[in-house]
Amino acid sequence: MSEGAKTSPNGGGFRFKVRGPRDFYGGLALIALAILASWASGDLPGMHGFAFGPGTAPRLFASLLAAVGALVALGGLLFDGPPIESYAIRGPAWVILGILAFAAMIRGFNLGFIRLPPLGLVPSTFAAFMISIFGSSEFRWVESLIAALAMTAFCVVLFVYLLQLPFQLWPWY
Amino acid sequence: MSELLANLALGFSVAAHPYNIGFCLLGALVGTLVGVLPGIGTVATVAMLLPITFGLPPVGALIMLAGIYYGAQYGGSTTSVLVNIPGEATSVVTCLDGHQMARQGRAGAALSIAAIGSFFAGCVSTVLVAALGVPLTSLALLFGPAEYFSLMVLGLIFAVVLAKGSVLKAIAMIVTGLLLSMVGSDLETGAGRMTFDIAELSDGIGFTNVAMGVFGFAEIIRNLEMSQESRDIVKGKIKGLMPTRQDLIDSSGAIARGTILGSLLGILPGGGAVVASFAAYTFEKRISKNPERFGRGAIEGVAAPESANNAAAQTSFIPLLTLGIPPNAVMALMVGAMTIHGIVPGPQVMTKQPELFWGMIASMWLGNLMLVIINLPLVGVWVTLLRVPYRLLYPSIIVFCCIGIYSINNSPTDVVIAAIFGLFGYWLTKHEFEPAPLVLAFVLGPLMEENLRRAMLIARGDATVFATRPISAGLLACALFLLLLAALPMIRKRRDEVFVE
Repeated sequence: MSEGAKTSPNGGGFRFKVRGPRDFYGGLALIALAILASWASGDLPGMHGFAFGPGTAPRLFASLLAAVGALVALGGLLFDGPPIESYAIRGPAWVILGILAFAAMIRGFNLGFIRLPPLGLVPSTFAAFMISIFGSSEFRWVESLIAALAMTAFCVVLFVYLLQLPFQLWPWY
Repeated sequence: MSELLANLALGFSVAAHPYNIGFCLLGALVGTLVGVLPGIGTVATVAMLLPITFGLPPVGALIMLAGIYYGAQYGGSTTSVLVNIPGEATSVVTCLDGHQMARQGRAGAALSIAAIGSFFAGCVSTVLVAALGVPLTSLALLFGPAEYFSLMVLGLIFAVVLAKGSVLKAIAMIVTGLLLSMVGSDLETGAGRMTFDIAELSDGIGFTNVAMGVFGFAEIIRNLEMSQESRDIVKGKIKGLMPTRQDLIDSSGAIARGTILGSLLGILPGGGAVVASFAAYTFEKRISKNPERFGRGAIEGVAAPESANNAAAQTSFIPLLTLGIPPNAVMALMVGAMTIHGIVPGPQVMTKQPELFWGMIASMWLGNLMLVIINLPLVGVWVTLLRVPYRLLYPSIIVFCCIGIYSINNSPTDVVIAAIFGLFGYWLTKHEFEPAPLVLAFVLGPLMEENLRRAMLIARGDATVFATRPISAGLLACALFLLLLAALPMIRKRRDEVFVE
């Protein structure tokens, strides 16, 4: 789109310039989501008689989303808006990695080519804490380790002993 | 009237049960504790603490959740006053005058007026919830599927009108929420919809996963971007907790007006506490004889919005408990909690489980009383808590959320889904899409589809049924009117002004 703006700054009656990139690309992404949804629900039976089938509502909402998304994108094309803020990498990456580490370790997983035995609550909590804490630029080793140990202990006491939720604590238990 | 008293008596007998008092106290305390932490809003707090209520009996769990809710709200105002960081959207306006008061050494007075105002508002709105509960429930009996569908449309439109920013984008979020709620098994045929053959998705995307991802994880990611240097904690000891006589006289009118405004706005679906606090502040400023005092530590500027948001927080239980329709994101979480405990929110709650309904209402009042009693002496503790650096706080919140999500279904996949929604939420903020309407629509989605399908089936495929049944037509007309009102640019501009102020 931006190339079009460069090559024909004032040529033709028609020119592409994304004035509000937040709205424009946001709208496009919603359209993509709508297309994905209508593809995913494409094989479901629709209306029979005047009864809704399982596929009716998803396709209804998907086409509605495509329409609204198109309007949002059109708005971004026509009206000035602020540029898209840059995405931070460090924070999101470590936070998400920490969460995924928890998900992978708590019950273990088996993807065929790679597998991990269940490691239990204590290692998972500790690891998730220590990984996600790297997301901050103010990281310090000693206090992080102490805080991770304290938080792990707190969670074990709260969830396992006080709330009696069934958790495996250690890999060997 | 006597029936009302009898009902309230039943409620108090349930709420005053030692266990339930304990749950209420615990909820209010924990809610305040988490709500005080800067950067964690009410919705995130309730979502985060949802799992700790799982093991409790339904009445206790809901009483505790309600306690968490208004505790979080109160905690948010504490942060506003002391640190000038609104813990949540409802206390944004409290910052304006509350923090100024704190800088003038009157933090104690600001906090106690906030508590007293909240308590007064809580008393009034508790009675209001109790009084309106019965008539609204009988109204609910007139509702067929068509009316329910139209009412939910109205609720979603309210959420659109009152969301900040573009109306169109709020609608886009509503539709996205509806679409996402379609994932999972079809209600009638059991056919898997948009599950991509992932077994864990056949039950649908869990509501808590969406809420924790969009409100919890996304908020953390966003906070990490901002510099943490800007905290401005009020130093030194807070003295003079009790407000002076003059303070009480100055703020009494503001508290009363805030309560009325908040109660009204809370009942409307889609609005709730945020709008109430903004509206109350603007209103006070407008009628004040010397509006230039506002923003420089006027006590009315604390009293009015705090009373209003508490009143609205409570009256927003009315649509949930009587019609089964959550008017805002927190109430949507309550629906999730009720469903987990096997309670279907709606008019039948009052008739089938009166002790739950009235017990919860009575516990709201008790909870408010507890907030006044426990929080004023505990202000010192909250201040200490605020000094915990965010770099240690956020990993704690993350592991807490992870364990919480995992414990709901013992499913690691749910944790992964929440992580995905965390990234999605981060993306949404970059494009200025509001997550709250999405979450509301996500909860209402299955209900809407069910009622739409039923209505169409009963009307033998005739879509005009929504316009020919009088109640349904009225609701839809309201929705349309609101939408037009919001879409008019002039009004939109004025609406923005309210939020900027």
